[in-house]
Amino acid sequence: MKSAPTLSSAFLHSACDRMPDALLALRKQRASALVDMPLPTRKTENWKYSSKYLKLTDEMAISLPAEGKTGSSLAVPGYKVVFVNGVMIPEASEFPDFDGISIQSFRDLNSGDAEAAAQQLGSTLDHDQAQFARLNGARFEDGLLIRLKPGAVLDQPLFIIHETYGDASGSAYPRVLVDAGANSQMTLVEEYISSGDAQVLVNTVTEFSLAEGANLTSIRLNMEGENVQHVGATGVVQQRSSRFESHCVGFGGPLRRHDLQVRLEGEGAETKLNGVVVTQGKQHYDNHTSIDHVAAHCNSEETYRNIAADKSHAVFNGRIHIHQDAQKSNADMNNKNLLLNSGAEIDTKPELEIYADDVKCAHGATTGQLDPISVFYLVSRGIGRRQANVLLTMAFINELVEQIPVEAVRETAQTRLNAFFDQTFKEA
Amino acid sequence: MLSIKNLHASVEGKEILKGINLEIKAGEVHAIMGPNGSGKSTLSQVLAGNETFDVTSGEITLNGDNLLELATEERAREGIFLAFQYPVEIPGVSNLQFLRTAVNAMRQHRGEDEMNAAEFMKLAKDVSRQVDLDPAFLKRGVNEGFSGGEKKRNEIMQALLLQPKLAILDETDSGLDIDALKVVSDGVNALRSEDRAILMVTHYQRLLNHIVPDHVHVLAGGKIVKSGGRELALELEERGYGWLGIKDEDASN
Repeated sequence: MKSAPTLSSAFLHSACDRMPDALLALRKQRASALVDMPLPTRKTENWKYSSKYLKLTDEMAISLPAEGKTGSSLAVPGYKVVFVNGVMIPEASEFPDFDGISIQSFRDLNSGDAEAAAQQLGSTLDHDQAQFARLNGARFEDGLLIRLKPGAVLDQPLFIIHETYGDASGSAYPRVLVDAGANSQMTLVEEYISSGDAQVLVNTVTEFSLAEGANLTSIRLNMEGENVQHVGATGVVQQRSSRFESHCVGFGGPLRRHDLQVRLEGEGAETKLNGVVVTQGKQHYDNHTSIDHVAAHCNSEETYRNIAADKSHAVFNGRIHIHQDAQKSNADMNNKNLLLNSGAEIDTKPELEIYADDVKCAHGATTGQLDPISVFYLVSRGIGRRQANVLLTMAFINELVEQIPVEAVRETAQTRLNAFFDQTFKEA
Repeated sequence: MLSIKNLHASVEGKEILKGINLEIKAGEVHAIMGPNGSGKSTLSQVLAGNETFDVTSGEITLNGDNLLELATEERAREGIFLAFQYPVEIPGVSNLQFLRTAVNAMRQHRGEDEMNAAEFMKLAKDVSRQVDLDPAFLKRGVNEGFSGGEKKRNEIMQALLLQPKLAILDETDSGLDIDALKVVSDGVNALRSEDRAILMVTHYQRLLNHIVPDHVHVLAGGKIVKSGGRELALELEERGYGWLGIKDEDASN
């Protein structure tokens, strides 16, 4: 009998030890748990549609170097932190001059702060569901610690540009920890981009901890290249009356996986998760979301849209778990999918586990194609067929794109969408 | 302007139109009446170029050009406009964006500059008032949540914006109350001009009290069985379709 594949031991070794002792110790401990870590297969429930896209080689185990890289000079309307291959580049970053927030590279933490961070790292995530967060825990070489003081309100969005240089095969392990104090507010934009064309793995973890009344908006834009396999996880824990809003916009690649886990631990917490995924060619994208209603009187609202063209493959798995004490929970999940070609595939699965009796939990999923009657209506007004297709496809996601609260991100996304339309819809 | 000769069309192998002949000149208003299932809507859809229907023989020309060789969007740019019996709801595309895209597609075809957002907004507001549609409807999704009457007014608004050579109105009176019928009719009458033709397809004659046709045709069993002047419509109202040897269960209302 063939034994189940395990993660190559090449992945167990971190190259760089330029971090405080507490974080190095944590990393070492996590690495020991990785020995013989099974790789997902078709039979692994939460990877069954995606395992075939995961193609790790020993060359990809090597940490991509950050030395000598200048980082993105992308102008952003706000503050900016640039990461290259998982390591912060302070020279390329523009920090806010504001007492209410501290933004630090893991490498710069004093031993006390590092100790505290080590306690927090990984605590928002269920690692059995986001298996690859363990790999990040064993391999991160830097990270960003953002602490918002109670009541602090950051006046402009903070952009984190995660840039991967794929000049040679290897991997990068970006890590972000956001600790939002009571009644604090900020908008964080994470943009994942890449250059080069060697096979690389980007394995990310971002964690948000929201204290009572905190209000956090997270925007995640995945625009990496065709050489990047991306496996990322985001963990969110919310205390009483906090509000979290997430906008994930992703363009496909050879492997794209994002796990988003939200735990509503305090009464009256609210979470809103929006997602847009666009795939073409032979691309893949898999979103796994999970919302745990642990406390009573919490609201969650989730809206994901997938558009798959050509022979691409998108996956959405939405789990809602309403715990026994979470009475008066209100959960609403909606996933709509648009197949633009008969060769495209979209798999969608809601998973509801409800253990409280006085709750409202609604879910809906549909998969369809562009409506020929709508196309006929538009072209009967002289609108070209290509433009009719673009209008109708855009209509499918417009509502979600318009809700992204940062104009520059909407524009970036629209530019990418326009390129997608150009490649997908040809003039008849 | 429009010439239809021996037109046969079928859907899924079933022949619906069985030899239509019709000549419409510029400036004329024609009405096609007939019982349900006679092929009225099929004729409208075929003229607009709906590919669900197969034209198996015959010809359609618009000012001498073969219409059957043109795709739907090309026919529209040549001046064919169909006001749908059931206008389509398209959430996510604003009515304003839809109308402006259509108007600019036409302008581009004519070699004119596109209208910018501000210019178009002014025009659209004026025309929406003309059909008694609150300009707030411009911001909503195309026909999204519109009442039956609002949808029909939106169709007429499109005709007024696009200024077609031939406007085909498919059951534009259905689902309208008296007031809405008046508004829609006023809009259609505003379209009447010497260089434009109008083809109204209707089951009932009441629309013809408001928009007086020059010619009335009775369509039954996929053929035009009788043609006449306005008085034919009045006669149909009085006597139903039975005297023409046509069975129609719905003709009584």
